Amino acid sequence: MLTGVDYFVVIAYIIGMLLLGLYFKRFVDSSEDYFLGGRSLPFWAIGMSIVVSDIGALDFVGVSGQAYRYGVSVGNFDWVGSVPAMLLAAFIFIPYFWRGGMYTIPEYLGKRYNLSVRTIASLTWILFFALDLGVLFWSSAVLLNVLLGWTIWSSILITAGVVGLYTYFGGITAVIMTDVVQMVIMFVGGAALVYLSLDAVGGWDNLVDKVYNMGPEYREHFHIIQPSDTKSPFPWTGILFGLTFVMSNAYMIGNQSIVQRCLTAKNEWHAKASMILASALKMAIPVLVLFPGLMAIVVHPGLADGDQALPMMIKTILPPGLVGLMFAAFFAGLMSSVDSLLNSTATLFTKDIYEPFIKKDGDDDHYLKVGKLTTLVLLLIGVATAPISSGFPGIYVAIQTFMSFFQGPLFAILLLGIFWKKSTPLGGLSALVIGIGSAILMHIFKGQFFHIEDPFLFISWWSFLVGFVVNVVVSLMTRPHTKEHLKGLVYDPKILSTSKEI
Amino acid sequence: MLNFDWLSGISQETARYIFLGLYVLIGGLVLLIPTDYIYVGVKKEDRHWYNNLKLWAICSLSILFFIYYIF
Repeated sequence: MLTGVDYFVVIAYIIGMLLLGLYFKRFVDSSEDYFLGGRSLPFWAIGMSIVVSDIGALDFVGVSGQAYRYGVSVGNFDWVGSVPAMLLAAFIFIPYFWRGGMYTIPEYLGKRYNLSVRTIASLTWILFFALDLGVLFWSSAVLLNVLLGWTIWSSILITAGVVGLYTYFGGITAVIMTDVVQMVIMFVGGAALVYLSLDAVGGWDNLVDKVYNMGPEYREHFHIIQPSDTKSPFPWTGILFGLTFVMSNAYMIGNQSIVQRCLTAKNEWHAKASMILASALKMAIPVLVLFPGLMAIVVHPGLADGDQALPMMIKTILPPGLVGLMFAAFFAGLMSSVDSLLNSTATLFTKDIYEPFIKKDGDDDHYLKVGKLTTLVLLLIGVATAPISSGFPGIYVAIQTFMSFFQGPLFAILLLGIFWKKSTPLGGLSALVIGIGSAILMHIFKGQFFHIEDPFLFISWWSFLVGFVVNVVVSLMTRPHTKEHLKGLVYDPKILSTSKEI
Repeated sequence: MLNFDWLSGISQETARYIFLGLYVLIGGLVLLIPTDYIYVGVKKEDRHWYNNLKLWAICSLSILFFIYYIF
């Protein structure tokens, strides 16, 4: 239970975030301000925002739970599953999106392929973000239930109310600038928990010895590379082909909530630098969220649900005051993730769905209002879909499962779209539809196809391959766009010059 | 086939070297990027070694290499 000091820290944090978010309301005069921060933000704020919006409550609870079950191999997602993809994004893809003045990734796909591809990609992301919101709300409720004894639904409604209020008013500038503060709090709170947990288990060497001697099922807990025949969801083959080659690239290059931040940069250097800074900061995340799960193996052995590992560690390890700080850090992660999803989805809906299909010639003030209204509606959808995540054994795996359905095909059309001039509109559309369909089929019949528990990494790789091959085959049989149409949309070695004209 | 059974003969240690090799390869590709491209958006007089993004990227990759070397 929280003490009076803890409640003070948490309440002060929440009020501080609300005031900070509301402060940036004054900078929102247009839809470009609301969605892209007026293209005026510095790399350090964007980089910190990328990191903090990507970890959130999901990782605090889910990654600790996975570390409790499978060990350090879950850290692959923040290490090899981030850094190479972020460098590729920084040096190749982000400059194209930034120079093109894009608001959304589907907007690029629409220009490169056609409106159908843009709409399907946008609707898919909107669906994913809505489900993601539900998972985030559910994971927060699990923690609040253990720490405070609040009911699941009261936790969800309180969280949604607080986050929704400050996201609605501030737009992406408020989202990014509050993320900066949230990242500092998250790192301080996480570091305090790691330090005290390490002290409680008698140091790193003692931790390794104790875990290793707990039985054969723990022998692989300190190996980041798991055998190809492991029963865990992280065989090295899946990490290399599914995560490194496909999912991480699709996530860092095709994820609206990540890329949109870079598009708010004041110039191209800041856009690139933000992603590279984020890649460095992101490598600290497993230390903060994974290690407590490992230490819980020693402090709380035999937990039936790994997702209880972090809440139990907070409850037993941290003194009054620091519990409040950790709780604030958890809130920081939750709020930063939710506000990112809300703002990104509002951007996707307004620019890719509302503007082309519902009202083409509205004035800027109208689209600003639509963006704000979408934020509120999405918040309600997130709350309503929260119980879905309870049907999955691990929260983190649940979200990866949702993503694996379309990450592969999406990356296939992005990759071919930018590097292969002959990729045609029909090729892109076919690849997206057939690729997503193949991923869903592989998931439904995973028992027949795969021999590991959660084969989302393999599904990601194979659906990428299906999308890639379909795109190539169909493109060779159909008519591509003209060279003039593709100018600035496909890779040109001239981008590696100082010229901004490509 | 779908489970990459054909790679089951590769040991964990060899797999680790595959990852380490990948980081070295990426580092090499980063070094090949023209320096002028790295500085697009920065005025000529403000271009210094500390805002050379190739160095930033190499630092990130070095940390990543170290982590996979340790674990």
